Amino acid sequence: MNLAVSLPRGLKLKNPIIAASGTFGFGPEYASFVDMSVLGGISVKGLSPDPWPGNPPPRVWETPMGILNSIGLQNHGVEVFCQQDLPFLRETDTRVVANIIGHTVDEYRQVAARLSREPGIDALEVNISCPNIKEGGMSFGQNPDQAAQVMAAVRFETDLPVMVKISPNTTYPVEIAEAVEDAGADMISAINTLVGMAIDVKHRRPALGGVTGGLSGPAIKPIALRIVYEVAQTVKIPVVGMGGISSTMDVVEFLMAGAAAVMVGTITFQYPRRMQEIVAELPEVITELGFDCLQDVVGSALPGRSNASSMMEAEYE
Amino acid sequence: MVKRQVPAPGHVELWVHSPVLAGATPGQFAHVVTQGTLRRPISFSRLDVDTGNAAMLFQVVGVGTRWLANQEMGAVLDILGPLGRGFPVPDARRPWCLVGGGVGIPPLFAAASQWTSAARMTPTAILGARTESLVLLEEEFRQLGHVVWITTDDGSRGMKGTVIGPLARWLAKNPQGQVYACGPTAMLRAVGAISGQRDDVWMALEQRMGCGVGACLACVVLGNGPEGPDYRRVCTEGPVFSGEELIFP
Repeated sequence: MNLAVSLPRGLKLKNPIIAASGTFGFGPEYASFVDMSVLGGISVKGLSPDPWPGNPPPRVWETPMGILNSIGLQNHGVEVFCQQDLPFLRETDTRVVANIIGHTVDEYRQVAARLSREPGIDALEVNISCPNIKEGGMSFGQNPDQAAQVMAAVRFETDLPVMVKISPNTTYPVEIAEAVEDAGADMISAINTLVGMAIDVKHRRPALGGVTGGLSGPAIKPIALRIVYEVAQTVKIPVVGMGGISSTMDVVEFLMAGAAAVMVGTITFQYPRRMQEIVAELPEVITELGFDCLQDVVGSALPGRSNASSMMEAEYE
Repeated sequence: MVKRQVPAPGHVELWVHSPVLAGATPGQFAHVVTQGTLRRPISFSRLDVDTGNAAMLFQVVGVGTRWLANQEMGAVLDILGPLGRGFPVPDARRPWCLVGGGVGIPPLFAAASQWTSAARMTPTAILGARTESLVLLEEEFRQLGHVVWITTDDGSRGMKGTVIGPLARWLAKNPQGQVYACGPTAMLRAVGAISGQRDDVWMALEQRMGCGVGACLACVVLGNGPEGPDYRRVCTEGPVFSGEELIFP
């Protein structure tokens, strides 16, 4: 079965599985453990104009069916990325999504401008939803006008396909998605992590150095699916779904909820080869579910598309 | 898993058959799948390339280590490794000593097993624990021929106090001596303070860890960078750092 996915502005993935930003480094880190050419794409860790130091440790904490992180978007800046990491990524046969971050609209614009001059970048992902940054970051993702401003500034600088990563930490994620669609976004990626915290009981203090952190992993999958399902019904542009995907069947759920492609993150820490396994399993799983091609799975559980008669039949199985 | 022992209350040593892991450098670690959502980084206590067996000695502290401690003989474990930067081999012409606190002792024993035969001067092992029953691997260090000094917080065995007292005395006699340390952060901070954070004082660190391969930037510690303090990854730049590389908060 052909797993290829066609997305706006000519972005073509060999399959719908993309490594999620923040979980796969800047490219080379997992190279000796994972056959990267099998992946549909890689979204690199968030890139800012200048290096960001990140938050004080501890930066990660295990929770039931999930993890909390408070990395604070540590990165060595877009310039070092272009010189040090991009040559490696250019040699890798997969699509490169550059995740971009900033404290101000202008910082997002600067990173977009810099990356647009580099061969080897296939798409941008605008991160307006990181919960670990006090200024910028998530605050852009909680206000439709500010989110649109960031997207418009990025659009001004680039013809690359651009997706905007939206936050679950807001009452109406759909409003943010609509606002960035109007401002020129080609895709929506959803969702980022949820703000949470844990207490280190032994030391009587918050478990994370940054006090609060972003929750990811299977614990957030139902929330992610709900948001993807809502956004996919509202915007006309494709949705890239993510949040707690750990298995091939999880991928199918997101596709049915309306995601054209998915990102896989937290599970990679535990099982670095899980994305490869999903790519290998996907054709058979889709076929067994009665689909002839990947495209037919996308949105098949959305209102007006879901098949009531087959649900009736299921009762007699 | 080919062997399992309980060397002290709440501590388990597991032997796994894996020639790849057995070829690790002491100080490197294994990233082990347990029940939880994150792997557990565990250092090696024994590395035997002849048998292809590697052992990990850990303290049972939470759900992950408890799950691992309860695995049956013959269980197949999912281990990523060996990972990280291990201890550099000491200059055999100069004295060296090992300073371990609690569950920081095991990786030093893996190192001692490989280095002792080449040493020109009898190495010293300073082993600290909270109480007598938690002194790990003492007999093993004696069998290697080390001078072994024991300290316990409650004085139930050896000298009452921490490893820092004996280390200060060893450093007074061996001002150019090489030091290898692993243990709680407070102990390592004190080791750094009395040894002058030199480039031949080596410390193996622990930190809450995510991926283990350098991708997620979770397991950082504060380093002494050329342009001021910077964060370094325990999984990749470490877990072994020289004293001069580190800043203890």
